Amino acid sequence: MQIPPHAIKTSLFYTWMDEHGICCTKPLAAAEIELEHARENTAAVNTFYQGRKFPLLIDSRQVKSISREARQHFSTNGRETYTNAFAILVKSPLSRVIGNFFMGINKPPLPSRLFDNEEDAVEWLKQFVNA
Amino acid sequence: MIKQPAGEINISDNAERANKILNVIMAFARLDFSHKIELSEHGEDILDAISGGVNMLGEELQVSTISLKEKEQLLKEIHHRVKNNLQIVSSLLSLQSQDSKDEAFLGLIRESRNRISSMALVHEMLYASKNLSDISIHEYVMRLSQSIQNSFRSPDQQVDFEYRMDPKLSFDIDRMIPIGLIINEVISNALKYAFPSKHGIISISLEEDGENYTLQAGDNGIGLPKGFNVSEDANLGMQLIFMLAEQLDGTAQLLQREGTHFSIRFPKSEK
Repeated sequence: MQIPPHAIKTSLFYTWMDEHGICCTKPLAAAEIELEHARENTAAVNTFYQGRKFPLLIDSRQVKSISREARQHFSTNGRETYTNAFAILVKSPLSRVIGNFFMGINKPPLPSRLFDNEEDAVEWLKQFVNA
Repeated sequence: MIKQPAGEINISDNAERANKILNVIMAFARLDFSHKIELSEHGEDILDAISGGVNMLGEELQVSTISLKEKEQLLKEIHHRVKNNLQIVSSLLSLQSQDSKDEAFLGLIRESRNRISSMALVHEMLYASKNLSDISIHEYVMRLSQSIQNSFRSPDQQVDFEYRMDPKLSFDIDRMIPIGLIINEVISNALKYAFPSKHGIISISLEEDGENYTLQAGDNGIGLPKGFNVSEDANLGMQLIFMLAEQLDGTAQLLQREGTHFSIRFPKSEK
């Protein structure tokens, strides 16, 4: 996942809108995400809203941990208002556990899936662009 | 934290890390959620994945446990308040009657206060119980009978109680309230009418009988008058016994042998 120069930089995330109309967000390597970082990320994602909901691609392949409050925030606050689906990229055993835990316990209110391949994730998300 | 060069497997290090994970899981089992497992710098291997999962599980369990404890505290508080409110009602009745010399009126007040106390005792024992849902029938009946006997304040009356029930047997509030009220009526009737000689025995037993329980409560006093007909002659207390037996989905039977006894048979499982 190549971070473009125009990406919005917050404490732990880079966030940008790609050429397909999919919002992408990528945490720094070994990020330990707390509620404040989650809120910053949501604010950055929401800046791309222009009257129409969009899908979101989250690259969590290098995330080290997400606190309970941050997980709750990601599953309930704001995401539903401006996004219509999200895909989470996982790779390492840890990122898979975090992803599965998030999907299983926090049960996001939007269509959401885990992927270990970026192309497949983008392909799946494309159906939600302008949907 | 154990650091390890990528690709190098150190069995003893991994065994130690696995042991740390187990220690944290054991702390969770003790409802101690203050522990977390440290992940290696980049969190790349299976043990890091398990550690991350255990850490997240601990966070979720901690919140659930706190919420459960809050509910438990709330339930205790409710039982405490209900008991206090019932005692206030009982005290109000007592205050209303304190200037009266009318024995019949005072008797009615005492009966009402005893009925209220039998229910208040269930709430008092529930908030002191470990699981907040069940109380021991044996302990309850002993305390209840003592309290009723005290309310009659008859120093020259020598009445003994005999109990036969499994001390391990316990009931929830829905069953204990009618059981308590039934026993209250039987004891009150016995203390009022059964022993003109001022001495006797009141016996209370509860036995398992296949799919049912049989509660027997009665006295060895003078018994009911000849030709006594339950459907026509029963006082309010006796009528209550039959109504409360129905509340237990059971049936009540009046047995007139060596005094007056009631046998209440009700199913073990609630409908």
